[in-house]
Amino acid sequence: MQRAKTIDRPVLARLTFPPLSMLKEERWLIGSHILVALLALFPGILMGPFQAFSRSPGFVAMFPEWEIPVFSFYYQALTVHGVMNALFFTVLFIVGHAYFVMQRSLQRPLWKPGLAWLAFVVMIAGLLATAYAIMIEGRSSVLYTFYTPLTAQPWFYLGLTLLIVGTWMAATNLFMTYAGWKRDNPGKRCPLAVFGVMSNFLMWCFATTSVALLMFSMLIPASFGWIEKTDPQLARILFWFFGHPLVYFWLFPAYISWYTMLPAQAGGRLFSQLLGRVAFLMLAIFSLPVGVHHLLADPGISQVAKFVHTVLTFVVIVPSLLTAFNIGAALERAGRQHGATRRLDWLWKQDWKNPVVTAQIGGLFMFIFGGFSGMIHASFTLNIALHNTSWVPAHFHMTLASAVMLTYIGMLYWFVPLLRGRVLWSRTAALAQVATWVGGMILFGHGMGAAGVGGVIRRTDLANAPYFGDETALAFQKASVWLNTTAIGGGLLLISVILLYTNLVGTLFFSRKPLTENQVPISTEGDTRLPLWLENWWMWLGVMIILAAMAWGPLLVDEEILFNAPITGPTGLPMR
Amino acid sequence: MHIDKLERFWMLAIAVVIGSLSAVLLVTAFLFEVRLPTPYEQFDPAEIEETEFAEPGVRHMGGNKYHVHVLAQTWFFTPDEIRIPRGAEVTFFVTSKDVTHGFFIEEHNVNLMLLPGHVARITTHFQKPGTYKILCHEYCGSGHHTMVADLIVEAPSDSDSDEEK
Ligand code: HEM
Ligand SMILES: [Cu+2]
Repeated sequence: MQRAKTIDRPVLARLTFPPLSMLKEERWLIGSHILVALLALFPGILMGPFQAFSRSPGFVAMFPEWEIPVFSFYYQALTVHGVMNALFFTVLFIVGHAYFVMQRSLQRPLWKPGLAWLAFVVMIAGLLATAYAIMIEGRSSVLYTFYTPLTAQPWFYLGLTLLIVGTWMAATNLFMTYAGWKRDNPGKRCPLAVFGVMSNFLMWCFATTSVALLMFSMLIPASFGWIEKTDPQLARILFWFFGHPLVYFWLFPAYISWYTMLPAQAGGRLFSQLLGRVAFLMLAIFSLPVGVHHLLADPGISQVAKFVHTVLTFVVIVPSLLTAFNIGAALERAGRQHGATRRLDWLWKQDWKNPVVTAQIGGLFMFIFGGFSGMIHASFTLNIALHNTSWVPAHFHMTLASAVMLTYIGMLYWFVPLLRGRVLWSRTAALAQVATWVGGMILFGHGMGAAGVGGVIRRTDLANAPYFGDETALAFQKASVWLNTTAIGGGLLLISVILLYTNLVGTLFFSRKPLTENQVPISTEGDTRLPLWLENWWMWLGVMIILAAMAWGPLLVDEEILFNAPITGPTGLPMR
Repeated sequence: MHIDKLERFWMLAIAVVIGSLSAVLLVTAFLFEVRLPTPYEQFDPAEIEETEFAEPGVRHMGGNKYHVHVLAQTWFFTPDEIRIPRGAEVTFFVTSKDVTHGFFIEEHNVNLMLLPGHVARITTHFQKPGTYKILCHEYCGSGHHTMVADLIVEAPSDSDSDEEK
């Protein structure tokens, strides 16, 4: 029956998916996503070190005339940094990665390649619209969380909406590809990587409904001036219903890489397929009922809801701890292959000469700090000491900008050569890049964290704050030494960013040696011993909906006054 | 379904970690009564003049109890200087007139989000004399970083206002 289908569809016969060489159309599609993601990242990531410099009293004393290049208005730079890095770069990368995993793991083409290109065009249109609003039109410096009543220009919201619509189109394509595979392979288990992509996009499609609602009910009408009132508390609730799943959306490709690629790349083997699936499902499902841990200081949400979400947050630590165990075991095997014999020497007997492995292990290492710092400020009462201090960016630069980013970079070091068909331009530069990133982020994360404990707040143009050079502002002066170490970390990171981009450009345009070895450690097999109901996606969607309704429903009941606050938009506020 | 022995052990270890984290949380919340902001009062920000925020400031409630109403707007707090005697138990009632602001007192456990239409309330004690900055810690537009006020905790001897008690 399978045979007959293949013959029916000549496309399938043409695309036979040899293990290494990728088809041209596949290369173009995935390569375009990755390239545009990297282009979007470029202005965003450069702002990072500049912000760190501008927040450092030592740096400002040394270079009093210096200002952030191009976006000298601090909040514009910060909006560029947040929106480009955390929204456009990540989403484009993740969609490209999902296409790769689906096609390679299932060994079949996408359901509708044309739809994938259409989705791509929609996302690019979104990127251009939002970038135009922030960088050129101005008056859209509302940061990447765009809390109303601050109001950006319409292009800002329209662009973000297009980005999300594009992901829905991509998700449809992925789901249909999977469904087609299921139809042709009844009774088979899908490979673990595909399981991860499915969990991730299922979670994403459900979670983005709330931000779409926010866009259409408040933000877009307000920015066009069609409505004069918004409800800031409800808006924050809708944002963070989506916001925590967003965090896991970033994390999923890294998890997929750690579970399904890193073990082979490092020379080991995954300990347990089952734990992998359990971790993916938990991550997807429990990302939904925990978002109030971002709103612990809000006045319009009851303590009971805050408490419930904190407890559920502890549940969502489980998949990360499972991962620590599973990946740790895989790396131990890899270390033993590299000659480790004692109890712990596998920790350093790894394949450090391979930047693909080194970057990912660096990411895993940083994830330990990221995880613990997160557990601390998610803990209800401790949050009061840390909410909106620079502890929070310290935390997500350990997770997003280190664990996730270093793993993405590790992937780029085999992805880009694969897409181009040439070897990585410079291994040494790649290793130096990873080293400066890890070193820089340790300095940066520690500095921001310590400053946060000392009461330095985030999202603030410190250099122009009245207490910046004020000797009598004792608490700030005490904490400011950590802002200086942060800036040193930022300097290392700037070097790292330059190395990264130079190497990627070098690989694309100047690398001459063709790629010969098979560097795509993607599995095409699912573990046949696992129960099939694990892949009952309708059931999991149902579980998500029920949990989300139980966790968020009561909040909406609390939130009785709708559309109460007047909006204060660009006319009321100089936003540049 | 096959589950390895090591796997089972690790699952148990995780359950213990999570269980004890939750226990600590329950203890701080119910035994030590640590509290987070919770809905207290809501009104239409257009009618702010009819509320206590029409006249923000410090109110002595008898004993060592004080109520302080603070109004936040772009980009200042009213009042922008608050004097409190040492040892006072102070309840802050804070709201915003326009956009989202924050209310953060350095070196104290006061950390509130301010949303127009919602009154954020928190009670705390001030033991150590000194001048502390009150900062708006949520981005509220281009002057956000200038949104600062002072909280002065006075030792009883150098305070005249004390005699009014
Ligand atoms: C290259 C090194 C980087 C440096 C030195 C850096 C530096 C910073 C600094 C100093 C802030 C806080 C500014 C403030 O609160 O006022 C910040 C915020 C942020 N960063 Fe980075 N960053 C870097 C890379 C990244 C990357 C790779 C990502 C994500 C992929 C990222 C995502 C964010 C986000 C989402 C924020 C929050 C923005 C906001 O509060 O609105 N950063 N970064
Ligand atoms: Cu403010």
